[in-house]
This record gives sequence, C-alpha cells and structure tokens, in this order.
Amino acid sequence: MHNFLVHFIHIDPAIALQVILLGFIGGVLSGFIGSGGAFFMTPGMMNLGVEGVVAVASNITHKFGKAMVGSRKHGEAGNVDKRLALSVLITAILGIQLAVWINSFLFKGGSGHGAAQGAGANLYISLVFVFILAAVALSMLRDVLRQSVEGEEGTGPSRKIADFLARLNLPPMIHFKVADTKVSVWILLPVGVATGYLAGTIGVGGFIGVPSMIYVFGVPTAVATGTELYLAMFMGAYGALSYAFQGFVDIRLTMLLYLGSLLGIYLGVYGVKVVNEKYIRLTTSVIILLCVLSRGIAIPVYLRQLGFVSMNPDWDKYFNLTSKFFLFASGITGTLLILYHVIRAHRHRSGLQKTLRVVKQASTYPV
Amino acid sequence: MPIVLISSSPHGAGQELARQLERKTGWPLFTRQQLAEQAHDQGIKLSRLETSIVKSPVIPEKLAREKELYLAFVTAKLYENAREGNLIYFGRAGHMLLPGVSHRLRVGLEVPRQVRIENVVRELHLPPEKAAEYIDQIDRDIEKWIHFVHQQNAKDPGQYDIFFNLQNMSLSNACMLLCETAELPDFRPTPMSIKRLDDLYLAARAKLRLSEDEHTRALDLGVRAVGGVVTVTYMPRQEKAAQSISHVLQDLEGCRENLCTMAETNILWIQEAFDPKGESFKQITRLAQRWGAAVELLRLVPYKSDAPVPSPTVNRDQNQSLSSKPTEQIYTGGVEDDETEAPVDDGGLALTQEELVAIGRSAGGFTVYGGTSEVIEAVKENSHYSLVVLGDLFLEKGAETRKRQTREMGLTIREKLKAAVITADELESRFLFGKKQALKVVLYGAAVVCIYALVFHFQDPILNFLGGEIHAKWKWLASISVALFVPLVAYAYGTIAGLVLKLIDID
Repeated sequence: MHNFLVHFIHIDPAIALQVILLGFIGGVLSGFIGSGGAFFMTPGMMNLGVEGVVAVASNITHKFGKAMVGSRKHGEAGNVDKRLALSVLITAILGIQLAVWINSFLFKGGSGHGAAQGAGANLYISLVFVFILAAVALSMLRDVLRQSVEGEEGTGPSRKIADFLARLNLPPMIHFKVADTKVSVWILLPVGVATGYLAGTIGVGGFIGVPSMIYVFGVPTAVATGTELYLAMFMGAYGALSYAFQGFVDIRLTMLLYLGSLLGIYLGVYGVKVVNEKYIRLTTSVIILLCVLSRGIAIPVYLRQLGFVSMNPDWDKYFNLTSKFFLFASGITGTLLILYHVIRAHRHRSGLQKTLRVVKQASTYPV
Repeated sequence: MPIVLISSSPHGAGQELARQLERKTGWPLFTRQQLAEQAHDQGIKLSRLETSIVKSPVIPEKLAREKELYLAFVTAKLYENAREGNLIYFGRAGHMLLPGVSHRLRVGLEVPRQVRIENVVRELHLPPEKAAEYIDQIDRDIEKWIHFVHQQNAKDPGQYDIFFNLQNMSLSNACMLLCETAELPDFRPTPMSIKRLDDLYLAARAKLRLSEDEHTRALDLGVRAVGGVVTVTYMPRQEKAAQSISHVLQDLEGCRENLCTMAETNILWIQEAFDPKGESFKQITRLAQRWGAAVELLRLVPYKSDAPVPSPTVNRDQNQSLSSKPTEQIYTGGVEDDETEAPVDDGGLALTQEELVAIGRSAGGFTVYGGTSEVIEAVKENSHYSLVVLGDLFLEKGAETRKRQTREMGLTIREKLKAAVITADELESRFLFGKKQALKVVLYGAAVVCIYALVFHFQDPILNFLGGEIHAKWKWLASISVALFVPLVAYAYGTIAGLVLKLIDID
C-alpha cells in the first residue's frame, strides 16, 4: 500500500456501491429537505472507514459541483440574490478557514499515537454534528408537534427570534434588491461566520444559512434557497480548494457520491411538490434525529482511541456496526418513504387530469 | 362617473379630502374604518393579518389565504357601495384596488410631515418627539403592508392617476382639481370597464363563498371570473374536498358556468392567436400534463400604432371623449370575454380552451387589449404561475422588433409577477425531451463513462497527486485541478440525470 493511502481508503466494488447509495440517499434527502444532505453522507462515509476529515473534504467538494448546477437553475428562475450571497460569503470564508484549520490541526495532532491518528478530528466533527443537528431536529419537531396541537389555525414556525431581530435597526444597513430586504451588517456578520464554520466542519452550512435568511433577514423562501445554493457554490469552492491544498480530498468518493446524489436530488425535489409540508418536516426531523443517534453511538470509539475512556478495542466493531445500522436504517427508510410518495403521486397525477365543467341553464342564473 | 380611490399617509388629510369631495359631488363615501368594521362582523381577521405582516417578514401559508380573502372582501364591498356607479373610497393603499378597471381614479396625497406630527399630537395626545417616532413607525408598517398585500412598491408614482402635494396647495383647491379630473371622459365607465368590474365582483363573491363553506374553507384555490364563467383550480391533494366546489358555487348569482380544474400549479400562455393543432399547443399541454398544471390562456391584442385610438394610458392627457371611440377599438380596461351574438374572430381562444377542457388542463382564458402593463394588471390578482410562456406576439412588427419587444415583455412580467418566463420556442429545449436531448444524453454519457473509467483505472497516480508525495510538491496545482475538474463532472452527469428523469416525466 502506498503512503498516501494511509488516509485514503481502498475502494472495492462493495464500498463503491455503498458510497453511491449514500449519495443517492443523501441526494433524495437533500432535495426533499432543501439542505445539503451532508448530515447523512459525511457520517455514512465515516462508517465505511473514511477518515472524518477526508469525508468532510470529499463531501464539501461534492457540494461545490452540485451547488454550481443547482444555483444555475435557481438563477434562471430569478431566485438568486448575488449581493446577499457575496456579503454572507465574505464572512463565511472566515468561518470555513476556522473550520479547516481546526480540523487539520486535530487530524495532524493525532500523529504518532497509533490508532489515535484522526480520532481527535473524528470526535470533534461528531460532537459538533450531534449538538447542532440535535438542536435543529428538535426545534423542527417541536414546531410540527405544536402545529398538530393547535390544529389548522397554527401559524408556522416560531418567530420569536425573528420578531426580536426585526425590531433592531442597527446601522449600517444593506439593501438587497432581489431579496427585497434590508439587513444590518452586525447581524450579517455572525450568520456568515456560523454558516461558513458549519459548512467547513460538518458540511451543513445550509441548516443555518437558509433559516437565517428566511427568519432573520426576511428573505422569501425561494430566494433563500437559491441564494444559499449560490453561496454554497463559493463556500464549496473555497472549502474544496482549502482541503485539496491540505491533501484531504478523495476525488473518487466525490465522483461516486455524484452518481447517486444528482439522481436522488431530482427525486427529492419532486417529492416536495407532492407531499404535505407537515409530513416533510416530520420526516426530516426524525431522519436527522436518527442520524444524530447514529453519530452519537460512534463517539465512545473515538473517546477510547484518544484514551479518554478505557474500553475493550474489540467492542469498536459493535459500536460501528450499530452506528452504521441506525444511519442506513434512517436514510433508507426515509428515502423509501419519500420514493413511495413520489411514485404514488406520479401515478395519481397521470390518472387524475380533469376539468369539471358545470354549465347552468339560462333561467337558473340571474344576470 | 368614476370610482375615486384616495390613498394618503395616516394622520394626513386623506379623509378630509374624501369628505370635501363627498360634499361637493354627493357621491357616497366609504372608508377603510367602515370596511374594517364590516370585515370584523364577517369574521375576517384583519387585525391578525395586519399584525403578522407588520411583525414578521415571513407570511405563513394560512395568512396568505387570509390576505386573498381580505382582498376579495374589499373588492366585493367597493362594488356593492358603488352600485349607483360612483364611489369615493379612502383607505390604506386604496389606489391599488380594483386592478384593470379603467374608470377608477387613483388619487395620492402628500401632507408635510410636520402637519402630520401636529395632527398626531392633537389626536393621540403624544409629545412631539413620540409623535414623530409614531409617524415613522406607521409609515414603515404601511410600506410592509403594501409590499405583502399588493406586491407593489408604495412609492411608485406610476400607481397613481393624480397626486397632490399639499406643501403649497390648499385642501379645497386640491378637492376642486380632483372634481374636475373626475369629470374627464378618461375616467368614465365604459361597457368593458363595467364588465371588468363585474368579473372582479363575481370572482370576489366566489372566493368569499368558498371560504364560508366548511368543505372548501381550507383549500388552496385559484379563482378567476370572466364573463360569468368562474374558473377554479385546486391542488391534487385536495381532490376529495374539491368535489364540493361546484356544489358551493351552484347558485352563485351571475355565474353561468363553472370550470374546476385540478392543478398543482398554473401555466400562463400569452399569445395573439391560438391554434389547438399547433406545435406550441402540443408542447404546452405535454408540459402541463407532466407538471399537473392548468393552462390559462391570455390572448393579447396589442394596440396598433396607426390606430385612431391609442391606449388610454397614452390618451389620458388628450381629453378625448369616449363616445368618439370606434366601437371595435374601445379600451377594454384589460379583460373581456368573447361572448357576442355575432361570430367574432377570437384568435382561436375558445377552440383552444375547449381542447384544454377536454384534456382536463384548462384554467380559463381571456383577452387583453394593450401591452405589458395591461397584461400585468389583468393577471396580478391571481398570479400564482410557475411558468409564463410567451408565444407569437407583436405579429405586425418585423422579426427583430418582435423579438426585442417579446424579450422586454418577458423581463417585465418576470419582475412584476416573480414567475419564470420563457418563449414558446424555448419550451422543448428547456422542459421537454426531443431528439436534441437524446443526442445530448448519448454524448454526455460517453464523456462521463470515459472520465470515470480514467479516474478509477489510474487511482494510484491520482491519489498520489491529491494527497501523496506529488501533492507535497504541487499543492496549489492539486487544489486548482480539483476545483476545475469537479464542476465539469457535476455538470456532465447532472445533465444526463436531469434529461433521463425528464424522459420519464419526473422533473
């Protein structure tokens, strides 16, 4: 085995198929949820034995190309506010740089400790993943449950933070023409850094970027999604360049992910059109929670590798297996549910194209 | 005589102007305050709508439905109060109501800020600095209201027919000028503007009735009325409840026909003449069937440059009497239907609509006389279009002019309606699968197979370049290569994936 294969895994046909499957499930979920799908693909690759930092690097590179294709379509539909995207990008780059630096430092910091190589970065990525995504999923689930209790008259997600920030009128304010909104630079800065940091750490900047644009900046949903994709293209490019410079991008993984994800994303987007919004949010939150659980199960292995807990190394495989089971179970179940609805709606749609015409007798309607 | 719609900043002089006009003309006055009271009695949650719009930039789906209901209610009330023909309405963004009705007179009023502050101090007993803050806040809130309810810029002067600045003019003189303006023939009702008003009223009543019925209350509906035909589109997921639509509208006064089409979205097709046997029709219906969309036809009859009567938007300052207009060229105020006693050339509209009804994809059809602004006026109240297709337009012009004018119209429609706009020529390449697309799949497929084969055949040197010894020497070259190579693969494979799914009607 060559030296460089120390952090690049050997890919046999079985692994290749699993990566394609990861890409497909990630793509379907990504299209359906409207975020990157990295929350599934990154831990999925880690479960296949890919180093955390290589998984993040390959995924952010994958995201770069995907966002480039997606933002072009959104741009054609007038859903991209380039000025907003570039404003967020300037601060997001700081966040990405911070993330790359921490990841690289932790990865290299493990050198010379045998099994602990990369364990620090793995633990760090897993912890950020668990805390951030658990918060996102629980908040989403709470909104869905609250709406169920309030019934039809519910008024959507909580807007307490948005209302509070909307009242703050901190100069200097920037006007974004396409999004048709004014945002204070002081609000733009932290949102940009957080988006970049999460994109660079776990590849899920969209989980912060899109809701922030909608609820904090007041951007219409379609423009928020289009602008985030446009932003993701630059963040992905910067992340890809940075990680490639560090030597962590496995282009084979990126290409295999594309084989599944670019097909899956179309199906996911189609699913959004045909599935009830409440159901989308419920499915999303449950899938993310299961992914969080899966990553949480893998944490004791990294803790043992770093010497923080004493545990029989033979147990690693059981932890990894359980983690892998939860991840694939959540992804596959979620994807099957989405595909079921897509196929059902597709068949239903072709069978039910109709216009009902009721012509009244002249005497029955006063003119 | 016209319907005078007066809009002024709060605590200005709008209400006083409306009262003076009422005293001078004897026309009935209807105010937003009365409207709000009646809305409350009717169970329309106007205050909740206002609070939500003002407080948050995000409008949930249900509030969007309440907004539609509010607009329908206002339209119905204005019509009912103007039964005798005349009406003075004073209220927030009043000038944006009754779109496409040519006998409305849209009046704006600017009052010096200091006067408004003094009014607030007197009326609300606030200290001057608090009154100034209050004025600024309420102006911002109204700006938001106009933005979300009417999707317009509150400061756009093009929204008014006449605007008074009371900086150097007395209110009584403004009122006198307004009286004279209202007498102008440009603002007299025409048969077509009355018809447009009737259509708006019928659609408003249909919406209100559908919102009152427990079976149809929660549905997301698109409602339009043209010449007594009420067209309703509903979402496929609401199919069961939608059975009730025709039942609810059964005895709606003035409704002679009801079309109910199940559609996930709407496509607006604008053309001068329609042909159900033409290629554009086939392509649009293919797309509509794939998207589950209903197709709304808009026949545009552009004003001819050599015609004796130009557009009213042009002739308003020409003091031209309506009675001098030749019958066949009367300004329609936007919309009319094609029902006449004698057979008329409707540009294939009726026939094409029949075909769409037959395949279950009709969202109605109508004719608009004029240009881009008339088209926008006619469709903006029901503008939930995912696609606007511009067919053959400006046929009397040369090829280059036609192309330019169509492109300009497309840009304006896209900006105003926030919808994707394409020309009929682009339909196949953008949304359908033909021979060109098949060839593209083959060529891109071959390229993708080659790229993947090369990368996986030469894994070792590539990985060495990306993370091994070669990488250590050529770090920048490795990172730039990744940044250039990845989008290429994504684009090539993404194109194939998109086209293949298009082929099986999933996109």
